[in-house]
Amino acid sequence: MPIAYAPTTVPVVVDDVKCIADKGCTVCVDVCPLDVLRISDLTGKAYMKYDECWYCMPCETDCPTGAVTVNIPYLLR
Amino acid sequence: MDEIKQGLSEIECDVLVIGGGTAGPMAAYKAKRRNPKARVVLLEKANVKRSGAIAMGMDGLNNAVVPGFATPEQYTKEITIANDGICDQAPVYKYASRCFDVIQELDSFGIKFQKTENGDFDVKKVHHLGSYVLPMPNGETVKKALYRQLRREKVLISNRYMATRLLTAKDGRIAGVIAVNTRSAEFLVLRAKTVILCTGAAGRLGLPQSGYLWGTYENATNSGDGYAMAYHAGAGLANIECYQINPLIKDYNGPACAYVAGPFGAYTANSEGNRFIECDYWSGQMMQEFYNELQSGKGPVFLKLNHLHSDTVGQIEAVLHKVERPSRGRFHENRGTNYREKMIEMHISEIGLCSGHSASGVFVDEFARTTVTGLYSAGDMASVPHNYMLGAFTNGAVAGEHAVDFAAEVDVPDYDRDDVVREQERVLAPTQRDDGIPPNQLEYKARRLVNDYLQPPKVTAKMQIGQARLAEVRDDLDNAMVVRDSHELMRALEVSSILDCADMAAYASLFRTESRWGLYHNRVDYPEKNEEDWFCHSILSKRDGRMTAEKRAVEPYLVPIDESERDAYDRQRIRQHA
Amino acid sequence: MSAFESFSDVAEIAENLQSPDASVRRLTVIEIAETASDEAVPHLVAAISDTAPEVRLQAARALGEFDGLSVAQALVRGVTDADRDVASAAAESLAELRDTAADAALLPLVSHQSAFVREAIFRALKELRSAIALGPAISALQDADAAVRVQAVGVIGYLKSNETLPSLISAARDADAQVRLAAVNALSFARNAVAAQAASGALADDAWQVRAAAAETLGRIGETSAAAAVKGALGDTFWQVRQKALQCLGKLKARDAVPAILGILDDPLPSLRKEAAAALGDIGDISAQAPLAAHAADPDPDVRKTVAWALSRLPTV
Repeated sequence: MPIAYAPTTVPVVVDDVKCIADKGCTVCVDVCPLDVLRISDLTGKAYMKYDECWYCMPCETDCPTGAVTVNIPYLLR
Repeated sequence: MDEIKQGLSEIECDVLVIGGGTAGPMAAYKAKRRNPKARVVLLEKANVKRSGAIAMGMDGLNNAVVPGFATPEQYTKEITIANDGICDQAPVYKYASRCFDVIQELDSFGIKFQKTENGDFDVKKVHHLGSYVLPMPNGETVKKALYRQLRREKVLISNRYMATRLLTAKDGRIAGVIAVNTRSAEFLVLRAKTVILCTGAAGRLGLPQSGYLWGTYENATNSGDGYAMAYHAGAGLANIECYQINPLIKDYNGPACAYVAGPFGAYTANSEGNRFIECDYWSGQMMQEFYNELQSGKGPVFLKLNHLHSDTVGQIEAVLHKVERPSRGRFHENRGTNYREKMIEMHISEIGLCSGHSASGVFVDEFARTTVTGLYSAGDMASVPHNYMLGAFTNGAVAGEHAVDFAAEVDVPDYDRDDVVREQERVLAPTQRDDGIPPNQLEYKARRLVNDYLQPPKVTAKMQIGQARLAEVRDDLDNAMVVRDSHELMRALEVSSILDCADMAAYASLFRTESRWGLYHNRVDYPEKNEEDWFCHSILSKRDGRMTAEKRAVEPYLVPIDESERDAYDRQRIRQHA
Repeated sequence: MSAFESFSDVAEIAENLQSPDASVRRLTVIEIAETASDEAVPHLVAAISDTAPEVRLQAARALGEFDGLSVAQALVRGVTDADRDVASAAAESLAELRDTAADAALLPLVSHQSAFVREAIFRALKELRSAIALGPAISALQDADAAVRVQAVGVIGYLKSNETLPSLISAARDADAQVRLAAVNALSFARNAVAAQAASGALADDAWQVRAAAAETLGRIGETSAAAAVKGALGDTFWQVRQKALQCLGKLKARDAVPAILGILDDPLPSLRKEAAAALGDIGDISAQAPLAAHAADPDPDVRKTVAWALSRLPTV
């Protein structure tokens, strides 16, 4: 049976202008307890790869440049 | 990143701590401090910097036994009563006697507790029974401070490795663990003289009302891996039927924070704005009253702050929106709810296994020893009841110190290489399939079944149906699950832990044929407490490959409980049933 | 692939502080700090003078994880930085200092022209419980800025010395309510009539928060002579003050207040009825027995529980 992808709006949003992952920063990726963030090969910026968020906020709090925003997942809003 | 690679390496150590949340870092730190020559490894499936239940810190201590405000005897008595008497007091008393030293040590790490204007700990009284609450308005830095101490002591930290199965020697002693890298699927065998399990609660057991798999009360990483590993290694698990269920803000799975807002005058009320909780203790009995009110004509239940002064609410918000679950402010903003104007709707959480607020866990004694030689456990997954964050720190310290001493006396045990081969096969099986069911679907189904059949009120026939349906999911997990990258592999392994915990929850709940601990073990077809047959622990374990359960006597009390004190508690039960 | 986090050489990491790219220097600061090694300090100290504000900001944050005189000196530089974010981060980090030797670096700034700096310095000195800061703190009670005066009260309050009572008592009459609040709370350590008298005076304060704090402080001081004044606070317009007054009267075992407290058993607010019952239990006067028993069926469960508890505390006839 083929596997389909269910579209989902992700809670964690990264501002590409502020993000300095392309300079070697991995802070948000490191601190996420659920390990759902990655650095994009395409843009060199951080993004949310897996929609498995506890909206706990270390990624936002620890980001040195204030590039990360954690929103409440839609199902809970 | 995330592609599945081949690989197997092996390392050796004296003390292996599994889980870098709260108890784990303290265990590793204390082991290393006590014996700087010991090789101490801290294994964590995320990153120790921000992992576990206190990733964003904690807003306060709920059970601080501070000289001048409470005594170890008084605390031990209250915990015993809150657990309907089923309590080995030695570990509770040990905690209560040591925890103030730990508070002072944490303070010296730079972890901030609220101080009075005279620089003393600002202990708060929540009810007339004792003063145990010590607020932490700047508690969000806890993990950073711990991490710094680990670095200074040169504890070996191994991030992104998920332990999957404990290794045991021929004589049954603990021999180490097998772990898999969550970013590459490479294996690591860690041989150890002692292992300390600190992997937290089984918090991803029930499905939250919102339907979002990750919107759990506990940090969603805490999927009960330690409960499952201890079980498969043959350790006894105590009182698994005594679930954890907590009050929370409806849809926002963060605590309702009676301990933060309570000292300021906030309280839990029904829709008429009146208090309704009769119970003196934070317990399953209290949760039963909460549940009854939710279901009643006066439901639902609310957190009431709108009688407080706007400045007071501001003080409460300054804590609640900054520490532990700081996205709470954003949640209320989205909903347009304001503590000042209206009461905030509350609900109860999904079920979980967690001794932090309840009592179910891997059985441990006052030295944090499990029933397997060389295996220790501390924190939310060990059986010391109601131990909260400070209990994780204190019992973690106890475990670390005892384990490092034990390690000095023994050699690294040998293990069976075939165990590793079999475990590699088990772990990698879903990666060998091109087609099948992804882990997230299996998880959703398993947890939906937990809600449908295992959450209280517990009904025998329903739980039996639940067991049969969960067995079908396990069959799918074993034979039809497909995994496409190493991250998904971690999730798949977590589903396996969740299923183990669900099986244990059902089995233990069916074993105890009485009702006890209020809502936690409310068996509708055995509605009464039966002291004659069931004033005992239930101990669940794996024997000859099968789940078994047995009774274990409660150790004689160190701190006697007055008959009248026990009676007072029972009278409240009767009034509630009437 | 290594199984463990590495313990890299700090000097080697620090070479990247020479990078022309400020973002790289900033990330280097983070990396150096994470080593938690004492060798990190000189590099972080240097980074707080970087040309780029974001690097200085990161250094100011990172230094909060280290301690000692050289850290304090660097943070003093940071707290006077023209960039507001750098200065704020340095102020937060200053409050993390625990090494008592650090106060020597802070003292020269107690009269700095910027109120923001003075506030940060006194806040740090408070945490250090610095005895040599006492004189400057007493002088700072006359500071033009109220936030500075609040922190100065903190420095004095943390030292818990009876000799400082006159200064705390005058601060309890400050023009600013926050200063008065801090001062009234800070009087709690004293166990004497002078402190009690000052706190009693604060029961008539314009701000209800100060009045509530005064009642709480009087409970801690424990001078029974204050009971009459606290009894008067049972008629306060704010229930929050009446609540604290009830708690205080219980602690003072104020038998004279029993008739007034009995009246509150019928208050429309359940929190006050509960507190009244608790106070009667604490005081333990037999005259409360019948009135308490009459409230055993109060509609509020907390009141009922507290009434039962209070009755158990009364002497048996």
